[in-house]
Amino acid sequence: MTNAALTGRPARLWVRKNLFRTPLDAVLTVVFGSLSLYVLARLALFVFVNARWEIIERNLKLLLVGRWPADQLDVLVTSVVVLSLWGGVIAGIVAGRQIRKGTSVIAGMTPTQRLSDLGRRFGLVLGTSLLLLLLTNSSGPWLMAGLMLVGGVAGTWSGRRIGVRFLSPIVARAGILIMAAVPIATYAYMVSAVPLAQWEGFIFNLSAAAAGIILSFPLGVVLALGRRSKLKLLKMVSVVYIEFVRGSPLYVLLLLANVSLEFFVPASIAPSKVIRAMVTFTIFTAAYLAEIVRGGLQSVPRGQEEAAKALGLTPAKQMRLIVLPQALRNVIPAQIGQFISLFKDTTLAGLALGIFDLLAGAGVITQQDDFRGQGLIIEALVFVGFLFWVGSFTMSRESQRLERRLGVGTR
Amino acid sequence: MSDTNQSVYADATKAVGEAILELQHVDKFFGTFQALRDINLNVGRQEVVVVIGPSGSGKSTMIRCINRLEEHDGGRIIVDGIELSEDVKNIQEVRRETGMVFQQFNLFPHLTVLDNVTLAPRQVRRMPKSEAEALGMQLLEQVRIPEQAKKYPGQLSGGQQQRVAIARSLAMKPKVMLFDEPTSALDPEMIGEVLDTMKDLARGGMTMIVVTHEMGFAREVADRVVFMADGQIVEVGTPEHFFTSPREDRTKLFLSQIL
Repeated sequence: MTNAALTGRPARLWVRKNLFRTPLDAVLTVVFGSLSLYVLARLALFVFVNARWEIIERNLKLLLVGRWPADQLDVLVTSVVVLSLWGGVIAGIVAGRQIRKGTSVIAGMTPTQRLSDLGRRFGLVLGTSLLLLLLTNSSGPWLMAGLMLVGGVAGTWSGRRIGVRFLSPIVARAGILIMAAVPIATYAYMVSAVPLAQWEGFIFNLSAAAAGIILSFPLGVVLALGRRSKLKLLKMVSVVYIEFVRGSPLYVLLLLANVSLEFFVPASIAPSKVIRAMVTFTIFTAAYLAEIVRGGLQSVPRGQEEAAKALGLTPAKQMRLIVLPQALRNVIPAQIGQFISLFKDTTLAGLALGIFDLLAGAGVITQQDDFRGQGLIIEALVFVGFLFWVGSFTMSRESQRLERRLGVGTR
Repeated sequence: MSDTNQSVYADATKAVGEAILELQHVDKFFGTFQALRDINLNVGRQEVVVVIGPSGSGKSTMIRCINRLEEHDGGRIIVDGIELSEDVKNIQEVRRETGMVFQQFNLFPHLTVLDNVTLAPRQVRRMPKSEAEALGMQLLEQVRIPEQAKKYPGQLSGGQQQRVAIARSLAMKPKVMLFDEPTSALDPEMIGEVLDTMKDLARGGMTMIVVTHEMGFAREVADRVVFMADGQIVEVGTPEHFFTSPREDRTKLFLSQIL
């Protein structure tokens, strides 16, 4: 028996070692193997044969951008292209700096390795985009995707050239200001064309998640620092905020944002539902982030702060330069996890606030004349779930990459 | 009893030359536990004082009071004419004047070796980057690891890390260097390289207070040896006097245990 196992070919050996080591293993393998095969086969049968994807095909625009005015689509295209150019420049600068400092991972890669690395990172997103493009019958989306790709690549190319160079602090600071201004200006441009209240479909989910992530991060850090502060009042405010927000379900907070604001402000100046949703997401996520960051702060050894003190750094610099960078780095997985949660939780806004988001859209299209009463909600939900999965999975993979880059756990 | 105490004080406060550091009747409590009892010690310029004693005797606490990592509860601590008080400005100034090397190195793991060394000159002394890096490289050469400048602390051996930590403290051009058991966390084969660096420093005229268990170092480098027990300074003397003819019974007991 043992001899036979040892003389087998590697693949066989692996199977025997991992799947059929004991009789119990064998039984479990057979039972769960056939069960998984059955489920996979049914799923494949549904996705590739039985599902009537025309409901998605016909409503793709509605699901992705809601009722974004057709004559304003060029605004959307321009903004998205600008943002991909911007993202490319940032990625390029980061890569260029790494090359300059000699810490770059990609610098040592052959073009083939580089391509497969990019494929592993963004293949899923690109593949999904391609799939969506194939579902459209107009040229606009293709043009947009093409321009996005060109923008991203051109941005990375030029960004790297900036990144490898040493810039004087003044130029660097001006550059940072400009880079920070780009998304704000783009946002203003989009809002001036189409008011926030009309941001619907997947655009709502994406922009609400982005706003929530960007705004909740600094607020969460401030709350975490506040909770550890020696100033009694600041500490109390932080604790009350964190514990109050963490003690309520997000759905309840969203419902409150929907109905209670009128008690405090006149209806005429009350912000739109989209803004209320974004604010609620920010408030909610910040409370959780604060606890995550607090955990990170506690994970930094006391000696770090003492060494910084002994060198004569001011308390603010001890925190900003020594403790906080390490604290944030130590809790990257938990932070990204919170952001992924937020991304998915944006679907709650549809029900709680009556916003026409991706999920609400999925419900609405099954009520259209052509599709009503045919059980097509499954197709709609599978599509919605798939899009969120692509986004969440990519974020999770990128967080793991970031973790490795920053060397968490390799100290 | 009071007689011996008197003589101990007289000895401890007698610095070699002009005093750069004065501890006068320093007390320190942790809750109700008294960690330091009426500590009196003067340290002269360019003097090397080695502090020894059993664990829990207050050695670390004493030097941690000197740069205010611990707050003393009574008495006075004066570093180069600046008295430590609640005044934040004084504390910052004293910390700029004193460098400290820790048992656990406490290098900043997220910064390169060179950035560890240049951080304080740039952030505290506002030295331009190029100047700070030139200084940093010079110091890394002094501790004999310039080739590790671009690496991160985690990639270095314990001995190398501790030498970086010494370079990092020196970057602030301190007038006094405090060493808190700098070799206690090291593998035996790395202790030598760190002690050699410290010997170089002592020969270069640095004022040093070293808490250590390395009796060889004390014998060779120290101008004076301070023996502490139960939060008190029990005996002070030259290495020669100290290791050959200690006066106090506590000292004799301690030396018989470790030698």
